Amino acid sequence: MALIPEYRADVPRVERFNFLARFSHWGHTVTFLLCLFTGLVLFLDGVNWLAAIFGGYAGAGLVHRIAAVGMTIVIVIGGVFGFKGVIEWIKDLLRFGKNDIIFVMKFPLEFLGFPVKMPPQTRFNGGEKGNSMLTPTSVMLLVLSGYIMWFPAIFPGGLVRVAYWTHDIAMVLATFMVCMHGYLGSFHPGSGESFWGMWKGTVRADWAQHHHAIWYEEAYGDKDQDKTE
Amino acid sequence: MANLTNLYDVSKCTACRGCQVACKDWNQLPAVIEPFKGNYQTHKDTNGDTFTIVKFMEYEDPVDGVQWNFLKYQCMHCFDPACMKVCPRQAYSKTEWGATFHDPDKCIGCQYCTYACPFEVPKYREREDKITKCTLCVDRVEAGLTPACARTCPTGALTFGPRDELLQVAEERVKFLRVNGFPNATIYGKLELGGLNKLYVLTDTPDKFDLPVNPKVSGNTVFWQDWIQPYFGWLIPLALAGSATSFITTRILANKHGAHGEGGHE
Ligand code: HEM
Ligand code: HEM
Ligand code: SF4
Ligand code: SF4
Ligand code: SF4
Repeated sequence: MALIPEYRADVPRVERFNFLARFSHWGHTVTFLLCLFTGLVLFLDGVNWLAAIFGGYAGAGLVHRIAAVGMTIVIVIGGVFGFKGVIEWIKDLLRFGKNDIIFVMKFPLEFLGFPVKMPPQTRFNGGEKGNSMLTPTSVMLLVLSGYIMWFPAIFPGGLVRVAYWTHDIAMVLATFMVCMHGYLGSFHPGSGESFWGMWKGTVRADWAQHHHAIWYEEAYGDKDQDKTE
Repeated sequence: MANLTNLYDVSKCTACRGCQVACKDWNQLPAVIEPFKGNYQTHKDTNGDTFTIVKFMEYEDPVDGVQWNFLKYQCMHCFDPACMKVCPRQAYSKTEWGATFHDPDKCIGCQYCTYACPFEVPKYREREDKITKCTLCVDRVEAGLTPACARTCPTGALTFGPRDELLQVAEERVKFLRVNGFPNATIYGKLELGGLNKLYVLTDTPDKFDLPVNPKVSGNTVFWQDWIQPYFGWLIPLALAGSATSFITTRILANKHGAHGEGGHE
């Protein structure tokens, strides 16, 4: 079985993520993983080999800060130029409802590979909605606490001490989500086309209709055509 | 080996600041000039190039008018140092005679220790991106000398020697002071934080000397170090294991039930 389904240009495809969303997603991925591995150098004890990859502990600290600034820039660009997309994203998250709860409850079976019938989903399914809330919240906490830890002298001491454990908790939560998310967004057979949606921007129309029926109907289905007539 | 300690007796200190200069001299620390702030204290706090200062606490006595309390201030060389606990680089160690030693070669300047220390003693030295603090003159003591500050002190306010002996001296002195006009005289460093490898004879309660009466390591630091650091991270291998399990079971079950059809659905 192939790791990721083949990209088929010969079947009808629909857009899932525009360029800015993809730039922002992969920009976050690169800077997040750099921050993660350079941070783990301090979080874990005795991982000199990991530090050595970044030229030692001082080097890891420098990479952590460069990646942190890079991540901040990606957030600002994504937030300013992709403002409309972010709002649409949030609107979709606010549609969290019965179908999403059923999805999340059945998901463990789907995750392990049992065939399950899922109720129709909006643009983001129940699991993706959860990920879209938890991961960005953790990343925001990482950024805020991170800058406090970088420049402790300009903040009250009590806040600095809170930032230390906040940074660690947010790091663990975000990384927990990202480990599963990275797998689900690539090698999990049930996710099928979703990788291509984030990599090339489009997904197969039949996949979209099957996995995100409500979204497909609203964005590309007959309903939409009715409206434009 | 017995603990070797500085005893500082406030009642004998004249605030000449010889210790401050001797410390600068021995440790080759450049001068740090701070603007006049309306009292005689040279620096607001210890800093990256000033390991020890003499604090001036001004107060008005109804009979004697304006008075000062002095306090030589530096790292307390705690028996159970919080700085050492949080340091992610194990830059701190305890010498067998009780000094809390900081190794600048290991330090990466993260400043975790500054905010863990109940006295916020470790200070950031920007030009090197490292922390510095009083060494208890480890280099001198291990060569059989007394710390530079204690050697210099002209009045005998600062002495150096085995901690149990100095503790007896301090207790005698406090008894004497209590019946000679200082009823609140007390020892500091005997029990605080489980014991400090620095002893003080104070003529009044610690708060009058800008010292925390009951110093404590912040609950935030304890939560971070004792709960989050050792246990919480296990969620990450759990997620990795879950994904690895799914990677295998999905592929086994796909053979049984038939693969997801084209485009990833049944
Ligand atoms: C704007 C973003 C960020 C900033 C400004 C920031 C800043 C910092 C700073 C200043 C430190 C202290 C260590 C040092 O001085 O090198 C640190 C530690 C750390 N960071 Fe970040 N960081 C950011 C994002 C992240 C992200 C995204 C992750 C992981 C996913 C992360 C994981 C860690 C970890 C694990 C530590 C070590 C904590 C410990 O010692 O227990 N950071 N960060
Ligand atoms: C490790 C490699 C990663 C891969 C292969 C990956 C893949 C994907 C894919 C395919 C999607 C689109 C899912 C859909 O069709 O809706 C997606 C969405 C998303 N990704 Fe990633 N991603 C990775 C890392 C990250 C990282 C590091 C973060 C953030 C720190 C992140 C945050 C998100 C968020 C918030 C979404 C939208 C919500 C969702 O669909 O779950 N991703 N990712
Ligand atoms: S006073 Fe602060 S820096 Fe000195 S040993 Fe105690 S915790 Fe460490
Ligand atoms: S600043 Fe240096 S000594 Fe202090 S905790 Fe960080 S690495 Fe350790
Ligand atoms: S013991 Fe040494 S380093 Fe510490 S204050 Fe005295 S002279 Fe300075």
